Amino acid sequence: MPQESDRSRSEILQGTLDLIVLKTLEAMGPLHGYGLACRLEQISGAVLQPNQGTVYASLVRLHQKGWIASSWGTSEHNRKAKFYALTARGRRQLQRETEEWQRVADVMARVLAL
Amino acid sequence: MGDWLRSWCSRIHAWARTASVDREFTAELDSHLEMIVDEHLARGMTRADARRTALVRLGGLTQLRETHRDQQGLPVVERIAQDARFAVRRFIKAPAFSLFVVMTLALGIGATAAVFGLADAVLLKPFPYPDPDRLVTIWEDDSAYGFPQNRISPFVFLQWTPRNHVFDDAAALTESSVNLTGSGTPEFLHAHRVTTNFFSVLGVRPLTGRAFVAADGEPGHPLTVVLSHGLWVRRFGSDPRIIGQDVQLNDARSTVIGVMGPDFQFLDSRIDVWLPSQWTGDYVERRKTDHFLITLGRLKPGVGLGQARDDMSAVSRQLAADRVWDDAPVLVPLRDQVAGRIRPAILMLLCAVGLLLLITCANVASLQIAYGAARVREIALRLALGATRSRVIEQLLTEHLLLSLVGGACGVAVAVWSIHLLTVFVPRGIVAVPLVDSRVLTFTAAISIATGIAFGVLPALGASRPERVTHLKHGSGLRRSLVVAEIAMAVLLASTATLTLRSFALLSGQNPGFRPAHVLTLQTPLALPRYASEVRRREFYRDVIQRIESLPEVVAAGYVTSLPLANSGGGSLVTFEHHPIDPRHMMVANMRVVTPDYFRAIQMNLRRGRLIDGGDGTDRPKVALINETMARESWPNDDPLGRRFKRGSPETDSPYWTVVGIVADMRQGGMDVPIRPESYFSFEQADFYAPDSLAIRTTADPAAIAEAVRREVSAVDKDQPITAVRALQSLVDLSVEPALVQTRLLLSFSGVAMLLVSLGVYAVLSLAVTRRTREIAIRVAVGAARGDLLRMVVGEGLGMAAVGLSVGLATAVMLARVFTHLLFGVQPLDPLSYAAATLFLIGVVALASYLPARRAVRLNPSIALRSE
Repeated sequence: MPQESDRSRSEILQGTLDLIVLKTLEAMGPLHGYGLACRLEQISGAVLQPNQGTVYASLVRLHQKGWIASSWGTSEHNRKAKFYALTARGRRQLQRETEEWQRVADVMARVLAL
Repeated sequence: MGDWLRSWCSRIHAWARTASVDREFTAELDSHLEMIVDEHLARGMTRADARRTALVRLGGLTQLRETHRDQQGLPVVERIAQDARFAVRRFIKAPAFSLFVVMTLALGIGATAAVFGLADAVLLKPFPYPDPDRLVTIWEDDSAYGFPQNRISPFVFLQWTPRNHVFDDAAALTESSVNLTGSGTPEFLHAHRVTTNFFSVLGVRPLTGRAFVAADGEPGHPLTVVLSHGLWVRRFGSDPRIIGQDVQLNDARSTVIGVMGPDFQFLDSRIDVWLPSQWTGDYVERRKTDHFLITLGRLKPGVGLGQARDDMSAVSRQLAADRVWDDAPVLVPLRDQVAGRIRPAILMLLCAVGLLLLITCANVASLQIAYGAARVREIALRLALGATRSRVIEQLLTEHLLLSLVGGACGVAVAVWSIHLLTVFVPRGIVAVPLVDSRVLTFTAAISIATGIAFGVLPALGASRPERVTHLKHGSGLRRSLVVAEIAMAVLLASTATLTLRSFALLSGQNPGFRPAHVLTLQTPLALPRYASEVRRREFYRDVIQRIESLPEVVAAGYVTSLPLANSGGGSLVTFEHHPIDPRHMMVANMRVVTPDYFRAIQMNLRRGRLIDGGDGTDRPKVALINETMARESWPNDDPLGRRFKRGSPETDSPYWTVVGIVADMRQGGMDVPIRPESYFSFEQADFYAPDSLAIRTTADPAAIAEAVRREVSAVDKDQPITAVRALQSLVDLSVEPALVQTRLLLSFSGVAMLLVSLGVYAVLSLAVTRRTREIAIRVAVGAARGDLLRMVVGEGLGMAAVGLSVGLATAVMLARVFTHLLFGVQPLDPLSYAAATLFLIGVVALASYLPARRAVRLNPSIALRSE
């Protein structure tokens, strides 16, 4: 059974993961689940996702809030796959969150430089 | 906020398409898996290895699908649906238990819903007039004469209404009756004679035609009449052309100007017509001290009752200062006026039924706890398989709620079936009828849910800790407390019932002062102008009585102005000869005009002196009879016989009457209404009232002679309406009917409560015996006597009873004060009633303890010890 500390850590990580997915979609254009999961593996290793399937939790959340849209298409190797792309709302949300992170980073930088 | 809303819309959308959402995601996962496999194959793994590693890398498919499903859709709803299905299966597997619980709940919830329906109709539902909270009745304070809330006279009405600042308008009305003659059988109609603004004060409009205008109230104006809907349908065939037509009322022509709607009534559902009051200046002056008007005012918007009271007091003080009129006004909101008397009884019923419901809940909770112990394994297994405790509690609560909702649904049936029994508590003037409507249904749903939570929470919390449940001792402390609580509530309920029973017995056991059996009564109201002449009236009475007394089964027949228990006023100020005048204690006595045989007809007892007889004719000395109360109050130290009194104040010029006899007190207003002074006069000598009620004593069943009596009356005057034909006994029964029904209801509630208590006690003790099997077996083996064992078990039961009784009786004593208004002749702390309730409860507990005790005694020690 999950411990208390595990749960709160995963909540924080949930939010971060969502942001990374948004950013990745902005940078790389529409991706399918596998593509996204590979990117995440590259960026963070096992920290953010113990397995590839966890990306779907994030994708469902983002989809429900209307920040990404999905459609079925064909992959590079001619497989049927579901692609996800950023929406206009998603772009705005990404911008907001990026600014927020930037602010936090600036403050931390100043604090750590003391 | 917008995001949150979007999420939920998306969830609901997905929930509607669960299957296809699932399929889509499965396809997506498959595709993802294949892509990972492709990657591994490209790196040179074998197909088998590639697939295996891919599965690990992707993650548990089942878990991913589950998470996905939880994120989409409405897991709460699905969980509840799942729990409900599971609960239904369990109930089907334990039919006896489920049925018992549902039935007790149905009884408790149904009874509560029915009583709520009554309370709603009488106390809560607004009157069917616009802004009914602004309607206030206006009375006069005549406490000095024994009438703290007295009707007013037209003179007072005309003084108070123009001077006040708080009423939009005020109307006055009085009861009246008219005889409808002309085509068809003559019919006696109940009427209200109203000031012409009556309908506008109420704010209602006729269904067709118009209401009164000021002109209709001018003396000499052609007579107009407004019909009730019932009369219009019954007598005039709902003919819309009735408007403008004339009808014959009391031998005078009246034009029908309007017909009221089918649901309209004010203060009396029997009213057939409304007639306009036409007051001349002379009439107002003549009837200055006659108190017969009921007054209704509509407060101005925003004016409160306190403000209105202050203003009216100021008005009356000014009038007193100007020596116009002395008496102070009394303002009573319409609701209080109509429902005030019955309100305590209804509230008491609500409390009693509430207690019953609580006892039911405690019983079901106790049962559920016991039942929960039997599910230890199932729950422990669930928890081990990964269910959270809150999920288990959720599931258990769903079960309880389902039980209580089903119980509530059956309760609706109980309510529908029983609510008509409560109609006897609806006072005259309340338009709403107690029935199971949407308000009552909403209430039933709410208490079903509350009940489910009440009896479900504790057992659910307890059962969700299986580690605590395995011990047989589980819940026994809790169950004991519940049974003790049940006993406390049951004794409270039972003592209420016994108090009410005693009260009712005393009330109905009273000597009414006459003998009601075998007496037929009816009314033949004599209408003016046909019977305006004194001579004509007397002729009528003599003819009718002579004819009726000649019927074979008739013993005696007599007329009176007002039958017993049908007190319809007719009081007058009395001045005694040679008595000092005390303006603060003037007596107002009932005046009854009778024909001589009346006393024989109702078998009223003569205490002293003689009765009025045929010899007291028109030209003989004026004589009167008085009742014991009047004798006591007016001449406490003297012999009233031979004394004289007159009607009216000392200055009034009216003849003196000599007291020739004292009769026994007779119940006038009701069996519990204090008896007023009353005097009787012969119809040959008194002309101030014309009697209209006939009492006929027969040798057989009163109903049998009704037809013959009608014939005789019609033979004297074929146009004379005959009304209110009924046995005198029914008047007596009617006056105690609410008390009777209340007693029956409380006794039934107590009966059910006792039953539930006995079941609770039995269950707890049964379990205790099972638990202590080993101990009991050992005792028996070492030679414990049968008696000891019996004492042990029954003693445990009585121990619980002792605690429950103390708590219950203590609460009863604390609440006793509340009872004072509701009891007749019995003190709220009447020891006999409490003793009866207590003993009964002890008996019930002892009996319920007996069976488990017998089981303990029958225990075979060798078998018992071996089976451990």
